[in-house]
Amino acid sequence: MKTPSNSIKRRFALKFLRTLVRIRKSTHQPSPSQSSTWEIRRRAQRIKLAAYSSMARTVGSKRAWSRALTMKLRAAMGNRPWSMIKQESKKMTRRKLIAKRKRHMEKDLNSGVQELRRLVPGGQWMDPLSLMQETAHFLRCLETQVRVMRSIVAEGEGFPC
Amino acid sequence: MSSRRSRSMQSGSSRITEDQITDLVSKLQRLIPEFRNRRSDKVSASKVLQETCNYIRSLQREVGDLSERLSELLGSLETDSDQASIIRSLLM
Repeated sequence: MKTPSNSIKRRFALKFLRTLVRIRKSTHQPSPSQSSTWEIRRRAQRIKLAAYSSMARTVGSKRAWSRALTMKLRAAMGNRPWSMIKQESKKMTRRKLIAKRKRHMEKDLNSGVQELRRLVPGGQWMDPLSLMQETAHFLRCLETQVRVMRSIVAEGEGFPC
Repeated sequence: MSSRRSRSMQSGSSRITEDQITDLVSKLQRLIPEFRNRRSDKVSASKVLQETCNYIRSLQREVGDLSERLSELLGSLETDSDQASIIRSLLM
């Protein structure tokens, strides 16, 4: 089972920082007055999406979860990739049927697996084996993402204005 | 938990055994901080999955919280301050 390496951490950090700079440029108030709570919350939402999108782009199309997350984020950010979603769902129809049948058999692990399918991007359409593999990789990347964000915040908060 | 009868999930081309899933679940177990200390295999598969879900959710919550703090930091950043130069140097 492949696990993310340090290069993923570096590449994610770079992408994320670049996006942060971009977000700051587009939201920075020239006046010395503090941003309003609403502005802070709205920017936080953009930052959150930027974090997930940076990680998804770092992983690229190599994993099913990153492909699913990329599509989900594009929809969330207002692009209209309806054609892409339709294409993807055609591929998924047979897989969905197989997945549905298998779900009926996941009696004992049921609640855990069902919940996991909701949490892991693209999990709805994966067979149990792939779901486990994707979960492991997704989890490691999510941890990396959190670690990088923590250190950026620590750097920023460590310097009083 | 369940009975120990062996179960194979057959559907079309692929065939998944309970052993394969158990194996992957134990691999997952090693990734969860909750279970990393426990060397035993006594943790049930459903418990591992449950904890995995909890762990993912807590990480996602933390991403939200860290995003809020980053947003506040970006708001308070002066143009030519130390923080800005740190970010610039990190990008070099």
